[in-house]
Amino acid sequence: MPRSDFWSGLAVVAFGLLALVWMIPNYAGSNPFAQMPPELVPSIAAWIMIVCGGIVAAGGALRMLRDRVAPVTVHIDWRAIGWAIWPFFYLAGAIWVLTMVKITWAGPILIAGMLVLLGERRWWMVLGCAVVPVALLYVLSVYLMRIGVV
Amino acid sequence: MNFDAVGAAAAEALTLASFIGIGGGVLLGYVVGVIPGLSRSVAISIAIPLTFYMSPYIAISFLIGLSKGTAAGSAVSAILLNAPGEASSAATALDGYPMAKQGKPKTALQIGLIASVLGDIMATIILIFVAIPFARVALLFGPYEMAAILMFALVFIAGLSGGSLFKGLAAGGLGIFLGTIGLDNQTGLPRLTFGYTELMDGLPLIAVAIGTLALSEMFVQSERLRYDRANMAVTLEHRPDDRITWPIMRRILPTIFRGTGVGTFVGALPGLGPSVGSFMSYGMAQRAAKEPERFGKGEPKGIAASESADNAVIPAALIPLFGLGIPGNVSAALLIGAFAIHGITVGPLLLRDNPELLYSIFAGMILASLIMLALGWFGLMVFAQITRVPPHVVIPIVVFFCLAGMMLQGYGTFGLVILLGFAILGYLMKKYDYSFVTFLVAFIITPMLELNLRQSIILSRGNWAILLDRPIALFFIACTVVALVMLAWRSIRTGKPPAGAPAD
Amino acid sequence: MHRRTLLTAAAIMALATPALAEWQPKRPMTMIIGFAAGGSTDIQGRVLARVLEEHFGQPVNVVNQPGGGGAVALTRFMNAEPDGHTFMFGVQLGLTFSPIVTQTEYDIDDFRYAGTLVGGQFGVVARGDAPYQSFEELVAYGQDNPMTYAQQLPMDETIMRLIADEEGIDLAIVPTGGGGGMAPLLLGGEVDFAFSGGTHAQYTPTGEMNVLAFLTRDRSPFYPDVPTLVELGYPYAMDDFRSFFLPGGTPDEIVQAFEDAARFAVEHPQFVEVTVDNTLHPIVFMDAEETEATIREIRAANEELMAN
Repeated sequence: MPRSDFWSGLAVVAFGLLALVWMIPNYAGSNPFAQMPPELVPSIAAWIMIVCGGIVAAGGALRMLRDRVAPVTVHIDWRAIGWAIWPFFYLAGAIWVLTMVKITWAGPILIAGMLVLLGERRWWMVLGCAVVPVALLYVLSVYLMRIGVV
Repeated sequence: MNFDAVGAAAAEALTLASFIGIGGGVLLGYVVGVIPGLSRSVAISIAIPLTFYMSPYIAISFLIGLSKGTAAGSAVSAILLNAPGEASSAATALDGYPMAKQGKPKTALQIGLIASVLGDIMATIILIFVAIPFARVALLFGPYEMAAILMFALVFIAGLSGGSLFKGLAAGGLGIFLGTIGLDNQTGLPRLTFGYTELMDGLPLIAVAIGTLALSEMFVQSERLRYDRANMAVTLEHRPDDRITWPIMRRILPTIFRGTGVGTFVGALPGLGPSVGSFMSYGMAQRAAKEPERFGKGEPKGIAASESADNAVIPAALIPLFGLGIPGNVSAALLIGAFAIHGITVGPLLLRDNPELLYSIFAGMILASLIMLALGWFGLMVFAQITRVPPHVVIPIVVFFCLAGMMLQGYGTFGLVILLGFAILGYLMKKYDYSFVTFLVAFIITPMLELNLRQSIILSRGNWAILLDRPIALFFIACTVVALVMLAWRSIRTGKPPAGAPAD
Repeated sequence: MHRRTLLTAAAIMALATPALAEWQPKRPMTMIIGFAAGGSTDIQGRVLARVLEEHFGQPVNVVNQPGGGGAVALTRFMNAEPDGHTFMFGVQLGLTFSPIVTQTEYDIDDFRYAGTLVGGQFGVVARGDAPYQSFEELVAYGQDNPMTYAQQLPMDETIMRLIADEEGIDLAIVPTGGGGGMAPLLLGGEVDFAFSGGTHAQYTPTGEMNVLAFLTRDRSPFYPDVPTLVELGYPYAMDDFRSFFLPGGTPDEIVQAFEDAARFAVEHPQFVEVTVDNTLHPIVFMDAEETEATIREIRAANEELMAN
């Protein structure tokens, strides 16, 4: 997979550079007494990412040159990408809802919605799967742990 | 050893109340361990209020049984769903899930259970008969030794990454970087927290582990539903050869012994914890095997190595606790709290002032292991039914439990956001074949390694000759060098672009 | 002793009853603890929750919000409803120290303080078989030998640095990962002496550790013979108490009710037992006013110290 190697390697290098030029100088802090200053270990990590990511990207690029493939695909299957990423947006939405509604109430809807989106159509199945885990959690947290967060 | 006390202890261990208490602990731990997203720390937070109503002996045995139960139970979700509930079971999934996919889910579960129970019992026996008088040995492992061991573990496990070595190292680099987030342990000044109070203790390990291991796997599987709905799940066929046999048992026994040894060693050193133990054991099994390339493709030894070490750490972590009063890891630290609630101060004084209680606890631990074997063996039939649930039903429920597990830990919305962030990271790593094992181990080891290195540098006052008085440290430094050389050799050998690298 | 405690408790209860009539919780209460389950604050807090149930007549749920030595919990707690149903049992370090070194979203004025229950016992400890058995001997020894010290907080590091400079001690200071990290370093002989936030209590009975001096303002009731640094002539102190915190804007009558609750708890045998016997902390009671004054005082002292 030379193309994905190339792009993922590049992403790692980009993150390493971002860490090295922006995050570490601005946020690592300083410690005049330490023989190992606080920016030392993060900087080493950033260099590892830059070097190794660079090697991965270069390997991908070399193989792409050899096989004469373009670095960007002409055809992108948007439907496949959409299918792969909707759960992330679904979950992000769920987290946003959970800032306002307790998980005991939002939980069944969260499970049921995802079940339907994943293709389950039997209503009793949806209902059972949505209610039972939440009820279990409720018993666990309220009666055993005696905490009211859920 | 005082035999009257032992006899009394055995008598107490065999009462009905203790059976119920310990059995309940093991069962609760097992169930919580099986559910991905709810991990050992959730189980223990459930248990602390419950133990208020028990006698000290039952309370402690209940808690120890609970820890053992979660360690064994988390193997089930690792094997059947490829969604390990804890970092320490991640190595189990590497071989357990492929084996289950090959139509042998029950064999994989049985290997995991037997390795867990054997590792557990042997480590408990070591704890009882050998270790407490020798707990002081742990004090020989000062900052120099710990730094050397951690360095070795980091390099050794980095070499484990299956696919491309450089991708594994890049993932390790990211793990190190994220592991440095939090307050500087000397000045108390924030480092890379970007002004967020919530990051002052670093990224919560639970969020990182559940996100990259369990939640990301659910995203991978939901994507795969589109292409491969018919045969992506582990199915339980009632095949006659789907059970553990004596030849398999004979093959994995040496691995279990080695795993127990590694787990006991790691557990007895304060601070290392079960994840380091299970990955070290997995790596050693792979190095020692005649056909190392079979690891990661459903090798029984892989499951046995990881599970035996994971479970051996739990009793071994009590060695420094009972011998010196120093908790071996987080769950041992929680036990101190449970002891304190019952009016008992843990430490060397316990053996002197209250030997009956200590022996009762030991008897309770053995009993817990046996109950775990029985429960696990029959439980397998029940848990194997998970495979009957189609994946599109499993996914939303596991996602819900991952969110709930974070909420129960009290991390709030911030924890959920971090969880989602690491689920995305884990998804990308799995998709582009970056080793999440290296990432996770680097993330776990970095804070300890940095602290011990700092201590060593300050204590040595820049005088390297001090290492000559430290044979243990020198030994592990030599091991690290050997591991580094092997790593470099491997990268030179595979450094050329692999021409026909199989696109997975 | 037991009998007297009970009698006192009964008397206090009788005294507290009129105040109770003014404010009472109407539904289950939530007690926030800024540390993970299993620590000494958590253990005391959980027993305290049961004592408070008895006092208030409502269930008290314990919620752990770990992180940043209590700072995370304080940040979130700042915006809680000031109706007395959510309160915090916490250490003061999040207020007296964290805002000095980091940008916290809260400060002392964002909360109300309703009584102190537990005192701290920050001390300097050495191995029982060390060639020095008191702080004076340690200083004398250090003037001839290079020494190492294990710190846990920037404040104790600063204090030791100042003393070392004053006395001409060649001192190397190493960080530890808290009390659990200190014990192996000290017992293993890697460091010569160390800071202890309370870990020493389980090692002093066997003679494995010796408390040389306390950093607190007063001597510890458990070690009446051990002097404080101030008594030894070094003008430095660091202290910490565990108190009830309430959100800012909480009405006076609720603060009063919690002050009474604190007064009830420090006399309650169950709470006293878990605090003194099992987690080895002294019981220290302060009323609301004194608690707030103490927090401001300690904060000012820490600011002065950290300016060095």
